[in-house]
Amino acid sequence: MSSDPFARPRAANGRAPDVFKRGGWVPMREFSDAEAVDFVVVGTGAGGGPLLAGLAEGGFSVVGFDAGPYFRPLEDFASDELEQEKLYWTDERVVDGANPITMGGKNSGKAVGGSTVHFAMVSLRFRPEWFKSRSMLGYGADWPLDWREMWDYYARAEQALSISGPVSYPWGPKRPRYPYRAHELNGAAQLLARGAEAMGIKWTATPLATVSAPHGRSPPCVYRGFCRFGCSTNAKQSQLVTFIPRALRAGAEIRDLAMVGRIEMGRNGRVSGVHYHREGHWRFQKARNVIVAGYAIETPRLLLASASDRYPGGLANSSGLVGRNLMTQSNQAVFGVMQQQVRWNKGPPSLALTEHWNYDDRKDFAGGYCWMAQGPLPVEWVTVQTGARGLWGQALRDEMEKYNHQVGLKMVGEMLPDERNRVTLAEEKDSHGLRVARVTYGWGDNDKALIRHALGQMQASLEAVGATDIFRQEDDTNHLAGTARMGDDPAMSVVSADCRSWDIPNLWVCDGSIFPTTGGVNPSLTITSIAMRTADRIRTLAARGEL
Amino acid sequence: MRLSPTTGLGLGAILSLAALALTRPPPWARAASGHLPVRVPTPDPGAAVHAARRMNRAAGVIAASVLADSAVEHYRGSFHNKAMVIPLVTATLSLAASLHGNGDRQAAAHRLRDCIYAAAALTGLAGTGFHLFNISQKPGGFSWQNLFYSAPLGAPAALILSGLMGFLAERVRDTVPGQPPTIGGLSAGRVVAAVTTLGLLGTVGEAGLLHFRGAYHDPFMYLPVTVPPLTAASIGHAALGRTHRRRPLTRLWLRFTALLGFAGTGFHIVGVARNMGGWRNWRQNVLNGPPIPAPPSFTGLALAGLAALGLMQDHPDD
Amino acid sequence: MTDRYPAYDVLAKRWTESWNEATRKVIDRRLAVPREPRFFSASEWRTLGALCDRILPQPKDRPPVPLPAYVDQKITDGRLDGYRYAEIPPQGEAWRRGLAALEAASQEAHGASFHALSAERQDGLLHRMQQGDLTGEAWGGMPCDLFFEHRVIPDITHAYYAHPTAWSEIGFGGPASPRGYVRMGLDRRDPWEAVEATCGKEEARARRNNSRVV
Repeated sequence: MSSDPFARPRAANGRAPDVFKRGGWVPMREFSDAEAVDFVVVGTGAGGGPLLAGLAEGGFSVVGFDAGPYFRPLEDFASDELEQEKLYWTDERVVDGANPITMGGKNSGKAVGGSTVHFAMVSLRFRPEWFKSRSMLGYGADWPLDWREMWDYYARAEQALSISGPVSYPWGPKRPRYPYRAHELNGAAQLLARGAEAMGIKWTATPLATVSAPHGRSPPCVYRGFCRFGCSTNAKQSQLVTFIPRALRAGAEIRDLAMVGRIEMGRNGRVSGVHYHREGHWRFQKARNVIVAGYAIETPRLLLASASDRYPGGLANSSGLVGRNLMTQSNQAVFGVMQQQVRWNKGPPSLALTEHWNYDDRKDFAGGYCWMAQGPLPVEWVTVQTGARGLWGQALRDEMEKYNHQVGLKMVGEMLPDERNRVTLAEEKDSHGLRVARVTYGWGDNDKALIRHALGQMQASLEAVGATDIFRQEDDTNHLAGTARMGDDPAMSVVSADCRSWDIPNLWVCDGSIFPTTGGVNPSLTITSIAMRTADRIRTLAARGEL
Repeated sequence: MRLSPTTGLGLGAILSLAALALTRPPPWARAASGHLPVRVPTPDPGAAVHAARRMNRAAGVIAASVLADSAVEHYRGSFHNKAMVIPLVTATLSLAASLHGNGDRQAAAHRLRDCIYAAAALTGLAGTGFHLFNISQKPGGFSWQNLFYSAPLGAPAALILSGLMGFLAERVRDTVPGQPPTIGGLSAGRVVAAVTTLGLLGTVGEAGLLHFRGAYHDPFMYLPVTVPPLTAASIGHAALGRTHRRRPLTRLWLRFTALLGFAGTGFHIVGVARNMGGWRNWRQNVLNGPPIPAPPSFTGLALAGLAALGLMQDHPDD
Repeated sequence: MTDRYPAYDVLAKRWTESWNEATRKVIDRRLAVPREPRFFSASEWRTLGALCDRILPQPKDRPPVPLPAYVDQKITDGRLDGYRYAEIPPQGEAWRRGLAALEAASQEAHGASFHALSAERQDGLLHRMQQGDLTGEAWGGMPCDLFFEHRVIPDITHAYYAHPTAWSEIGFGGPASPRGYVRMGLDRRDPWEAVEATCGKEEARARRNNSRVV
C-alpha cells in the first residue's frame, strides 16, 4: 500500500498518515481555504511542530504548511545515503561570498517534520550567559529572553522529545533528569571520552532525541547508524513522531507538498493569508495570523518575496534586517586512524561530546564550541576524504579501505553575526516561478580564531588516544540562524521576544531565524523550546485580547 | 579503582575460602554450648533431607537462570576473554548437581555435588571480580553509564548464590537424622533465611539498576523493586525472629515473589517482541532487549526462602 | 594486502533482517542502472569513461561499478544537490562544458583525445584541473577547479561509494533496518559484519568467515 510520498499529498481527505502503523491513518480535521483560520504556520519542523501542537491544544484553528512530503518512516526509508537525499532541500539555491555555505543535508530538510527528520538528534541547552552575550560576555547581541524562563521551557521540550541523556550533566546550572537514560557509547564515543580524560576535560554521553527504551509506539534505537538519513524505526523523536501527531489529535490540519510562495497583506496593515502551491495549482488560504517557521533560508526568502508596492523591502523589514545576520556554525573536524576496529557507523553519530570550551572563558576569542564523536557513512566519508584532503584515484581507494578503523571529532562552533552575511533573492526562478535564495557568507576573524583553537584541541585529543594519519577537515559548516533576529528594539530586530514581528502585528517568525546569536551548541532544542514558549505567549495574549 | 584479573581472582579465592570456612562450625560455636539450640522433641528424620532437596531445587532454578543469562551475555561479549566460558560450564554443572540432588534421598552430603557447588560459588566470585575490572576500565570508571552498559555486577552474584545455596543444601542434608540441621553452629533455617534475604536485596539492586536504565517506561517495571524488598524484609524478620511461628504472610510474599520471577520472564518476552523487528530480529533483540532468563533468579531465591521457613518450623530453636 | 575483507559481500544479507523492502527496491534500481548514456553524447561518454577510470580506478578482477552510467543517471533523474556555486552552471550544462574543455585541454597539451592518453598524462591533466590550471574558452568562465571539486569529484566518488561493491570493499555493514548493531565497542563485531583479514594466514580464516556472514 506504500504510495509515493512525492506523487500526491498524503494529508488530505480528512486523514493524515499514522507514522507508527504501516498503511495506517489518523483522522485529520480540514479547513476551508475561504474561511480564515486563526493561524497558518509555514513549516512543520523544530519551530513549526510545537506551534501547531500548542496552538491547536489551545483551541485555535491552525493549518501547517510544508513544502515537503509526509513520509512514513517505517515504509519509505531505505538504508541508503543517496536514496535518502530525498529528505533534504535539494532545490536550487545559490551560494557565494568568501566562504560559501554547503546546503542540502548539512542544514536543510524538506519534509513534514522539517530538518528534524534528518537531524543528528543532539539536544543541548544554551549556556545561560549566552542569552546575554553582549552584556555578559561582550560579543554578539543580547536575547530579549531570560535564561531562567528558557530553563523551564528546555525541560518541557526535553520531556516532549523524550530526550535520552546522562543521569547528571557536567555543565551549567542544574537541570531535571532527562526522561530517558543515555545510550551506550560506541567505540568512536569511547575514544572521545578517553581523549577528553587524557586532556583533563570533562565529557558526557550526548543527550539525544532518540529513545533508549520503548516510548509509546517508538521502539528503542537499534543503533543502525543511518540517523541522518531518516530513522526507519521511529526511535528518533523527530517532529514527525512527536509534536505533529499531537497537533493532529488536537485538531490541526497539515498540508504536505504545499509550498507557500507569498504572504498576502490586507489593507489594514495586517496579513490576510498565504498563497501556496499544491497539486499543480496556486491557492490562497485566508488567515488571521501567519507564523513563518521555514528556517533561516526559506523564512527570509518568503518575507522578501512577499514584497509589494507598499512593502518594497519585503514584509516585517523596516529594520532592514530580514535576511541579514545569517549565521552558520563551524563544523570542522579532525580525523585519524586507530589500530583497533572502531566501526564508527554503529549507532547515532554523536554518542559522546564535550562542552568544555563553551564554559571555559580562558580564550582569546569570543564565543564557544563543543565537539562530538563522529560516524559518517561511506558517501559522507568520501566527501570528507576528497574535500578535506583533495584525494582521488588509487590513493583515495586505499584511504577509504581504512573505513572501519577511522575515528573523528567534529565541532559545533559559534560564529558571530555580521550584517554582510545574508540571504537575498537571486534573479533565477525555481520550478514554482519563485525567485531562488542567494546565500552569501564569509567568516570573520573571530570565527577563524575559534576554529583554529578547536582544531588544535581536537587534534590533541586524537593524538592522546594514539590515532595516526591524523588530518583536518578545515572547511565545513552546518546549522543556520539569524535572518529574522529577535530583539527588544524594532530598529535593530525583526521580531520581539514573543516572536511577533514589530511591523505587522499578525505576522510572526518562530524558527532558527530569530536567534541573535548561535551559541556553541546545536540549535534544535532551543528552537523547540522557544516555539513552545511562543505558543504559550500567544494563548496569553489572546486571552488578553491582544492578538 | 583499578583491578587486575589476578587481583580479582585472588580476592575471589580469599572470599570463597572464607565462605567455605563458614560451613564448618567454628570452634567457638562447637565449644560454647550456650550457643547450641535447645533440644526439642525429634521431628521427622526425613525433614532435613526434604529441606535439602528443596534447596537443591532453589539452587537449580538460579543455576538455570545464570546459565541462560551468562550464555547470552557472554555471547554478546563475543567471549573476548576465554574465561567467559567458565560460568557456562559451572552453571551447567550446578544445574546438573541440583537435579541430581533433587532426586537424592540420602541423608549425607554428596562430595561431588559439594565440589560443583563450591566451584560455582567461586566462579561467581571470580566473575564479580572480572566484572568490577571491566567497569573500572571503561572511561568514566564507576559511573551510571558504565553500570548500565558494562558487565553487570549482579549476574555473577547470582552464580555465587546458586553455588552457595547448593552448598548449604548439602550441609543441611548432612545432618544426623533426628538432629536439628545446623550451619556453622547456627540454625540452618535462619542461615538460609538470611542468605535469601541478602540474595533478594542484591537481585532487587540489579533489577532496579537495569529498570532504571529502562527509565521505568512501563509501570510493571516497579514490581521487582517493590515486592521483593518487602519479601526480603519479611523473610529477614523471620531469620531473626521466633522460629516456631507459622508466618503465613511471609509464605505469601515468597510465593508471590516466585510467581513474579515467571511473570518477569513473560514481561521480558513481550519486551523483546516489541523491539524493532520483533522476534524476526531475534539476533539483535534477544541480546539488546530485556534479559529473558534473568527474572527466574527471584523464583529460585523465593524457593530457598520457603525451604528456610520449612526448616525453621520443623526445627524450632526457641 | 590486497583484500581486506575477502569474500565479504553486502548483498549476501539482502534477505536478512538487515535489509527491508524499501532498501531492496532502491538497491535493485541502483544495480539495474542503464549502461548506455541517455544524456551524454558518444564522444562525451568516452571522455567521461576515461575520467571515471582515473578518479576511481577499479580492480580488473571483478565487475566494475559503471560510474559513467551513474553520472548520466543523476542528470537524467534530475537529482540536485540543494545549492550551486554562482560560477558553475546547472549540472548537465556544467558536465558538458567540463568534458569538452577537458578534451580541448588534452588536444592542446598532447595532440590526442583524453581517452587515448596514457594514465600518467590523464592524471597530469586532472591535477592541473584540480589546481585551477586549465583555462580557455571551452570553460566558458566556469573555473576548472570548482568544476573538479563540485562536479567531477562528488558525482563520481559518491556513485562509487553508494554501490554495494564499494561497501563490501571497505567492510561497511551496509543496509541496517530493522536489524542494526548490538556490539558497539572497540574491536567488537556483530556476526553479520565483515571480518577483517589482518594479513597472511588471517586471510584464509577471514575468507571462510566472511562467506558465512549473514
